[in-house]
Order: sequence, then C-alpha cells, then structure tokens
Amino acid sequence: MGIADIQSTHSRRELLERIRNRAERVIGDRGRVHDPRFWSERISHMRRLFKNPRGTPTKSVPSPPPAAIITLNRLGFGPRPGEVAEFNSLAGSDPARLEAWVDQQLDPMSIDDSLCDSKIGAAGYTTLNKSLAQLWQDHVASSPPWNVRLQPYYEVERATILRAVWSRRQLLEVLADFWHNHFNIYGPDSWAAPVWSHWDRVVIRGNALGNFRTMLGEVAQHPAMLYYLDNYTSSSAGPNENWARELFELHTLGADHYMGVIRQDQVPIGPGGIPVAYVDDDVFEATRCFTGWTFDFDTGLFEYRSDWHDHFQKNVLGTYIPPNQPALVDGTVVLDQVASHPGTARHVATKLAHRLIGDNPEPGLIDDAAAVFEAQSSAPDQLAQVVRTIVLHPTFLTTWGDKIKRPLEILGAALRAADGRFTFALDEDDTGTLLWRYDQAGQPLFAWRSPNGYPDRKDDWQSATPRVHSWRLMNWLIDVDDPGGTYRLNVLGQTPSQARSANQLADFWINRVFARPIPSEERQEIVEFMAQGHNPDFALPVDSDSNTQDRLRAMVGLIFMSPPFLWR
Amino acid sequence: MRHPTRRGFIVGSSIAVAGIAGSRFPSLAFAAPDATTNDEVLVVVFLRGGMDGLNLVVPISGADRDIYETARPNIAVPLSGSDSALPLDGQFGLHRAAEPLHNLYQEGKVAVVNATGMTEASRSHFDSMEFIERGTPGIKTTPTGWLARHFASADNVPAEIVMPSVSVGNLQATSLLGNHDTVNMADPDSFNLQIGPWEWRNAQRIALRHMYSGDSTWLHASGLQALDAMDIVELNTSGSYTPANGAVYPSGSFGDGLQVVAQMVKLDLGLRVATVDLSGWDTHVDQGNNGAGYFSSLIGILAEGLAALYTDLDGVGAANYTQRLTIVVQSEFGRRLVENADRGTDHGHGNALIVVSGNAVGGVHGTWPGIGPGQLFDDADLAVTTDFRRVLSEVLIRRMGNNHLGYIFPGYTDYEPLGVVAGVDIPPDYSTTGDGLFADDFESGGTGSWTTTSP
Repeated sequence: MGIADIQSTHSRRELLERIRNRAERVIGDRGRVHDPRFWSERISHMRRLFKNPRGTPTKSVPSPPPAAIITLNRLGFGPRPGEVAEFNSLAGSDPARLEAWVDQQLDPMSIDDSLCDSKIGAAGYTTLNKSLAQLWQDHVASSPPWNVRLQPYYEVERATILRAVWSRRQLLEVLADFWHNHFNIYGPDSWAAPVWSHWDRVVIRGNALGNFRTMLGEVAQHPAMLYYLDNYTSSSAGPNENWARELFELHTLGADHYMGVIRQDQVPIGPGGIPVAYVDDDVFEATRCFTGWTFDFDTGLFEYRSDWHDHFQKNVLGTYIPPNQPALVDGTVVLDQVASHPGTARHVATKLAHRLIGDNPEPGLIDDAAAVFEAQSSAPDQLAQVVRTIVLHPTFLTTWGDKIKRPLEILGAALRAADGRFTFALDEDDTGTLLWRYDQAGQPLFAWRSPNGYPDRKDDWQSATPRVHSWRLMNWLIDVDDPGGTYRLNVLGQTPSQARSANQLADFWINRVFARPIPSEERQEIVEFMAQGHNPDFALPVDSDSNTQDRLRAMVGLIFMSPPFLWR
Repeated sequence: MRHPTRRGFIVGSSIAVAGIAGSRFPSLAFAAPDATTNDEVLVVVFLRGGMDGLNLVVPISGADRDIYETARPNIAVPLSGSDSALPLDGQFGLHRAAEPLHNLYQEGKVAVVNATGMTEASRSHFDSMEFIERGTPGIKTTPTGWLARHFASADNVPAEIVMPSVSVGNLQATSLLGNHDTVNMADPDSFNLQIGPWEWRNAQRIALRHMYSGDSTWLHASGLQALDAMDIVELNTSGSYTPANGAVYPSGSFGDGLQVVAQMVKLDLGLRVATVDLSGWDTHVDQGNNGAGYFSSLIGILAEGLAALYTDLDGVGAANYTQRLTIVVQSEFGRRLVENADRGTDHGHGNALIVVSGNAVGGVHGTWPGIGPGQLFDDADLAVTTDFRRVLSEVLIRRMGNNHLGYIFPGYTDYEPLGVVAGVDIPPDYSTTGDGLFADDFESGGTGSWTTTSP
C-alpha cells in the first residue's frame, strides 16, 4: 500500500460521512426505511477494505465445514437435499466416509444414474451418442443449416448443466470440466461444434478417469484439436508449430518446465538422462514429428499423410528419432516422451490439486500425486489413482476457503439445492435465457478462446463482473417467468407449511442450501431481511400475501448470493 | 431527481443518495485539485494472441522491403493498389486497414515504437502476458500487476476519486491485479441488481452489503468491492450514451469496451486507468493475403476503435479530454518474419507498440534492428531494441507524474526517456523496497509483499 491509499482512506471516510449526513436528511425527511447501522458499518468496512486490498485476507479463511460439505462442494456441484445424510451414513468417521464416497465416485458405472439419464432423455437431444463419422455426415458434409451444424455443441452445453444438476456421478462431472479446460478447445467454432459430442463423450469423459497417455493420443488425433491448433495443415513444406507448442506448454510439461530460447544441449539433464525442461528447439522438432497428422475434410476422420511428413531425423527431449520411421512413429514417440516426463506428472498433479483442493496445495501432496502419476503411467486407471491420492490427502478435509465457486458451480449448486427443473431442451426459451444470463458471469461453457482454458485461481474470479452477474443470475432464478406465470424455482411449494416465522423460514432454507449452520452474523441478516423489522418469531402471511411470498423468494435469492454459498 | 422510478435502489446506495440530492461527486468537491494533482487518463489496450507487428508497421523501402517481401510472399502488405500501406515516413508504412489511426498519425497524435518487447525470451503467450502485465519479465508469480503498483505508489491522485480504474471485460486484467478499487465491468447497463422481486430489491441489497461486511476475508472484501462498483455505475450510467463529435465505435466487444471507457471518463468519476482487450491475434493460419483478409479486418476494428475513442473524447475546454489521454497499445510478442506455409505467422519476438495521445510526440520511434541476416533474434524474429518498460515508464513519469519505477518495475534500472510523449521528466526512483512509500502498517498489505519475489 502506498501514499495514495493512505490518503484515500482518510478522505473517503470524510466523503462517506458527508454522504451519510446528507442521506439522513434526505431519507429521514421522507420517512423511508432507514437503517443507521448501514452507514456506520459501511464506513468502518470501507476503512477495513482500504487497509486490506483485494486478495489479501486479513484473517485466515472460515474454519472447514463438515467433511460432507467439503466433499460435495469440491468434488461435486453442491449437495442435493438428503445427500449430506447419505454421505454421513457411508462410514463411521470422516476420513472413512470420504474414502467410501470417493471410491464409489471413481467407479462411476457402479452408480445408478437413471434419474439423470431420464432428464437427458426428456430433453430430446439427438447428437450426444453419434459416432464421429455420423456427426461429420449429419452436421458438416451434408451442408446443413447453421443451427444444425452447431447443434452438437449446443446439446453438450445443455447436457453438461443437466448432468451437473442431476447426475449422481458428480466427481466425473467435475473432472470432465477439468479435462475440457486442460485440453481446451473453443467449442462454438464452426469446425469444433459439429463434432463436440464426440470430443466430450469419447475423448474427455472416456478418459477422465483413465490413462493420460491414451487420452493424449486421442486428443492429438481428434479433428477438433487438429483444427483448433492448426496441426491439420502442418506439413514438411510448411510446418505449423501451434499444436506442438501448446502440447508442451499446456497439455504436458507446462510452462514451469520451459527454458525458452536456449539450445537443447544447454538444458540440464535430470534423472534417467532426460532433460529437465523443454526449449523452443524441442517445440520445433516436435512440430516436424507431427507433420502430416491431419484429418479428412470429407469424413472428419484422422488421416496421416506420409507425403506431408518430414521424414528426416529429429531430436526431442533428448531422444534421437532416426530418419524414415514408419507412419505415425515420430509423433507417437513425442507423445510417449511428454506423457512420461516427470514435469508432466507435476504439471497435471498440480493443476488437479488446484481444482480439487485449492490454490496453495501442500508441496508434499503434489509430490505424492506426481509419484502416483509416474508409477501408474501404464495403468488403465492412472488418472483415477492420481485423483484418489489428491483427495484422500489429509489436507483435503482441513483446508477451506482458498477457493470460491466459479459461475458453473454457482449455477449447479443453486439448481441442486432448490431442485431447479429447467428442461435444458434446445428450443426451450427459459433455458436459452438462463444460458444467456449465465454466460455474462464470465464462464460460458467450452467457450474460452485461448488454449489454456478458464483460469483457476481465486484471484481471477473475485472481481466485480463475475460477482455481479452471478448475483443477477440468482435473482433471476427465484423470479417469475412472466407476470402471472410460473416461477423458475418452486420456492413456495418446497417450503413446509409449518415454517412461517422469519426464523423458521430462514433456517429451513439455510439448512436446505447449506445443510449446516452458517455464521450467525450472516444468518441474522437473512432472518432480518425476512422479518423486516417485525418479531422474527411471528408468523408471516406466506400463504395469502403475494408481497410476503416475493420476500421469501428474495430471501432464497439472498442465500444464494451470500458469502457462505461461494466458498469451496 | 435522477431516478424517480428507482426508489428501491436509493436507500441501498450511498452514491445514489448523493445523486438524488441533486449533486454528483465532483460537486461535493472536498479537496480542490491542487498543484500535485494529476488527472491524466491512461488506457491500456492489450492485443491478445501476439499481434503481427510487421504487418501493422510495414517496411516500405530499401533492403528491408525486399527482405520483407521475400519472407512474406503471400501476406506482405503491398505498396500499391487499394490495400497498399500508408506511409508513416520514408521507411515504414501502416497497414491500410489502420487508416483511421493513420489520420491521427498525420495530426501528430500517434507515436509508433518499433521492436519493443522483453529481453527475456519467451514464445509462450501465457508466460509473456503474465510477465508484461505483472511488470516483471521472467517472474510470473509477482502477486500484483504493474498498474496496481502504479496506484499504490502514485502520490498525486486525488483522494476523493470514486472510480480510479476500470477493467473492461468479464475478468479483471492481470495488470490491475491487487488493486481493490478497480471496477471490472463488461457492460454498464446490466451492472446492477435491478432484477428479482422489485419491492424487495432495496432491502435485499442492504442485507447483501451487511453480509459482505460481516467478516473480513478476501471474499467479503471482493463482494463489497462489487457492491461499491455497482453503486457507482448504476447511478451514473442511466440512459443511453451518444458519442461526441460523430464518433462511431466498431461493433463488437472491443468497440463497446472503449465506449464504456469514454463514458466513464466523461462522468468525471476520476478515472485514471482503463484496460481493454482485443483478442484474436494468434494468426498461425490464413491471416490474409496482400493486405486483406482476417488480419486486415482485425486491424480495422483496432484502428476504428482507437480513432473513435480519441474523437469521442476530443472536445473543447473542460471537455477536451484528449489533452490528458494516453492510449498504449501492446501485445505479448510479435510474430515470425517468415510467413508459414499456411499463409500465417508463428510466434515471434519484438513487436510494434502504439501510443495515441493528445500529448504524443508523433512519429516512428525506437531503434530499428533490421530484418536482414544476422539482425534477427534467434535467426527468425524481429529483435527487441526497446524494453516495453521503457515506454510505460515514460508514460508513467511524463504523463502520470509517477517516478516510482523501482516499485512498479522491480529490476528495471536503466530508464531513459525515448520521447514518445511530451511531459516533464522526473528522476526515476529505483527504490524497490517501497522505502518512503510505506508510512505505517499498510506495508504488511498485499502490494508490499512483492519484494519477496523480486530478482
């Protein structure tokens, strides 16, 4: 903090005090609702805010909540009613419950997901299960209208939210989101959208709990990625390094293992005779290895063009690749090299820990997870084992508040807690409006343009736009479709008839949304909002007065906008 | 009364109260601007993806022209025809689609700096952006952005400023990371809580403020920041906005974003710094032949946007905002000299940087390293001859009046003005520990902790 901030602290206080005086005059004269606490608190907290810039906690974060809350909010999209009790019944201690829950989730096919399947079925999607060839035929080769061309993207976008809300395979949903961002592609692109359901179903979901090398191989040969990172056009006569560069920097070793523009022989050699990092020369050499990896624009299927391939010898990450190798060998060697590099193990483990625990995971946790990644490099469930190592680490249940929900998690958690029943059908107006509003919060699904995926540090999600537009989305959810029409969330219908006082109404919905008590200061605000100056134990005319009904809905909106709702 | 139909909002917003009383902030006028006040506005436009500066600022004569044409047989900007380059001087021309910018150049309002960038070589988009926006080449873990440290060290920014900075877009720019006063906003018209049951909006907003005041974690602080930002924007942006002087912003988010900046400047909320992004510059494939195509249309959006912002703010008297406006246009790196087989360009190194200002020293600046054999970086890319921090430092000192370079750009110690903007030179302060800046316990705050990662 510098001089400017110190001065502004002082002078803003004056400013606010003047405003307060003016406000008391203006509002007081009109006899409007006036809460003197508002002004004094505002000033004292403005002071505190100036002393403590954004991103600098003045105290540590909230104490960790019960294991069920941590688990269901971090490894899922928040609890549906009843799920906390279900979690707690799994075993006799928190670590044992966590382990039992995780092991169930890591075997998703063992979990009955028929309810979610029925929701997906009811939405009437037609492209989710098509083969790549079929998608290409129906959505590209037949030159359909534009909305048909993009239909697979739109269906996956909607199905993804439906699954977040309804699927019992919650960890798979969280990991699918993770891997979509790890191997980010801009989905609405006219060449990615037609094959999006194949990318999502086969490459991402099919491997999210599988083997990294297998996944990488499918990524490298998928038309959506070949197009997005330009490798489809890379030939010996005209190599294009875009794919090779992001393969190293984002998909495998990561920028922490990039030594820039120095020569290969200047890179220190690590254990096993492997260079500890990659340099631009490795990118260029790898680019040559992938020349001729393209796809057929008539079928959408991967194609290796020997006549485009650079057949001469290469040297990637200290491995010599002789000239004139059989088809695909050069690129396959590169994928083997990068997938097994210790830097990749650390890079992937670190990113997973950032997603599943917090921005500052314990170094020992990364060591453990990276070791499992390396040791299990051939296992068909390598990634499941890495995830298991991370989430069963003791710090999983002892850390909280190093992260907040991103917009997708906010939307998912709200719809789960309040049993939102949007159909997410393609042609449903309300779904379209919901997605339009959701997108403004800054995380439109599969629509991050750069190959690095949505940022995953808390710093990136605490600015005003995501906050304001998430709040708006919550208030839209609890509102009415159109005057006299139906409400988007059935708040009244789910409120038990015996809960009628402000205290009861607040406690019912707090328990419904959080499945635990929240800090008393925050609970008190919710109660006071509902009571509006009356005794919070008196019954309110919830059954007869539309104004009170609106207040109850707004109270639920307030709960969704509150700080405790955001922690994860 | 400005919002007779918005009673509900009024009680929840302190700023609105000032408004309903028939008074806007400037008229509260506590501390009249004194001699030490600086009211310059810096707009940083970041071109994300690596803008191909060699096709924006094009060699048009001599051996470099021959080399350029040979290296770029398809995508070179031509010297004749409808897409021909617009001469800047005898040596360089602007891409034809930058004509609106060229018009400003001819009025002396545009400084072009060739071959800028970082001496730390990285061809990674993401590393390079982090290095530049955090202001610490080679270190991407610096916890604050360079513009945040500008605010933290500036001693000439009036204290009563309501909105010192705005970061246009869905997420806050990294250059402002750590600045708690920044308003991050994509669209002022929807930046409010005028949604939900109307009769409870006001009470809900008060409760929301109470809840976010109830604790002092980073989340609570950021929630209050959002509430404050909403208060400010909501009161001040009612009604439609008509750009001045017939300025026409290009359609799309970039033009919209620049218009938001102009709007905020004119509201006299004290705006000092704005960030706006224009993405889509990673032109590995088909960037456009002979001065046309994709790159050309993107340059058109850039140039039209810059010209619209300048025109919109180019009033007379008190409305002559361009006299205190400086726009810096930068990208994370340039692109390779030689076009690739896909008629695109791969990641390069040195790049052109553009400054548009009412106080620009118009012309082409910087040392041109040449693009001949032996002159290229890594035998492939335009070299870097001007550290990007040199240009930014000059703007900071000559326009913003902030000489705390050691704090803003730790590790940068050899500043000399290049002469891209007019202004008074102040000897740079290279103290990196913040000594003299931290008068009391504030130094334990986040912006002070960067020293732990300084080189």
